[in-house]
Amino acid sequence: MDKKEFSEFYNKNIDKVFRFIYLRVDTTETAQDLTSLAFLKLWKRQDSEISNSTAFLYRIARNQIIDFYRSKSKKPISLDKAGEIADFQVAQPTFVEKIELTLEMKRIKKVIQNIKPIYADVIIWHYIDDLSSKEIAQILKKREGNVRVIIHRALQALKEQLEV
Amino acid sequence: MQEKDLIKNLKDLKQIKPNQDWAFWLKSNILETKPQSHLYKPKIKLAVFSFIPKYQKVLIPSLMAFFFVFSFTFAQTTLPGNVLYPIKTLTQNAKIHFASENTKPLIRLEVVKTRMEDLSKVENHQKEISAIAKNIGKDLEIVSQEIKNINNKQVALNISKDIQARSKGLKDLADNISLEDKEREALNQSVENSQSQVLALIIQTTDDINECPSYLKDKLVDLGKYFTDAQEGLYQWSSGDIIKSRNLFIEASDAFKAGDCLTAIDKIESINKLLSIHSLDVQVETSTPETLDSPGEIF
Repeated sequence: MDKKEFSEFYNKNIDKVFRFIYLRVDTTETAQDLTSLAFLKLWKRQDSEISNSTAFLYRIARNQIIDFYRSKSKKPISLDKAGEIADFQVAQPTFVEKIELTLEMKRIKKVIQNIKPIYADVIIWHYIDDLSSKEIAQILKKREGNVRVIIHRALQALKEQLEV
Repeated sequence: MQEKDLIKNLKDLKQIKPNQDWAFWLKSNILETKPQSHLYKPKIKLAVFSFIPKYQKVLIPSLMAFFFVFSFTFAQTTLPGNVLYPIKTLTQNAKIHFASENTKPLIRLEVVKTRMEDLSKVENHQKEISAIAKNIGKDLEIVSQEIKNINNKQVALNISKDIQARSKGLKDLADNISLEDKEREALNQSVENSQSQVLALIIQTTDDINECPSYLKDKLVDLGKYFTDAQEGLYQWSSGDIIKSRNLFIEASDAFKAGDCLTAIDKIESINKLLSIHSLDVQVETSTPETLDSPGEIF
């Protein structure tokens, strides 16, 4: 993937990946940081044989979220530090704007963060980013049938949480 | 909430988008960095041979040792004309070299036999066969010389007899070797000479053994005097030892009278042992007749 290809790929996926991360973390800054790291990792691995770049990018993003929560549970890590670790300058604070969400959207975001992570992932991918169960299966490295079951259960879990 | 409404609400979350300035800034920053592949390109090596540098110090000597042992073992089955046959002859020569004086002639004869058997199995390689046949002739001459070097006459006699028995088939083996007439004649002559020399040694050694030296008589006289005169010295002996020593003395005297010097010497040596046990500093020279030229003091 050369610069041009990466640029096109970036433009096509930045919104989706950012949204996916943003819905899973608390703050915009964290979402920006993790998105940065995900794209940077993809760029650095550009010569590796990646059959499906979108699926690969989502896998990176997902792992970033897992690592983020893991490190958060152990000890707080400053975002500047995270940037240093990634050998990359993190997002400038000037770029952070408050994303305006309706009350309902906030509620759904909160519920998404409270259900099982795998359910949260498939809800975002399938219902928000319009990924097919086949595409999700590629990200999760699971069978398509299994993914359909997970999507169904995820929606039920979300529904239950919203009704509480 | 209906499922439809829920899905609709979820779709509304599509409105979430990152700050466009940030997105642009991020892309620019990423594209400025170098991809990992330009920074580090791992060396590709065949995994199959990756252990070689690590175990080089052990592997090379091991392979050499294995090759040496394999060649050495294989060489023992080779015949004249084979590249590895010199290793076989070298091994045989080493066997002879490291053998004791008493076993050297026997081992040399066995080597000669083996080489003659090897030669009888080969038809080509005339040069090698001739060279080895010549060496066999020399070895056969050395056999009798080596028997002469054995100090103990009785041992020499036994070995001579053994060699005489073992060398009976040598002539037949020599006839089976594809040699020119002259060479075969020379080899047969060597075999005959060797057999004659060994026979001569047997006769001579037997005579040497049977010829009892005069001093042996003196020893027996001295011992006889001791057993008759030194009665006081014997009172500390057990009756069993007294009877045993006297019987030995009688047997030694009888053997001497019969001309069986070796038996006489053997009996005297047994008496000496008894005397030593009873703390009497007595020595009787009981070596072979040739070494009895300067008999020691008995009492």
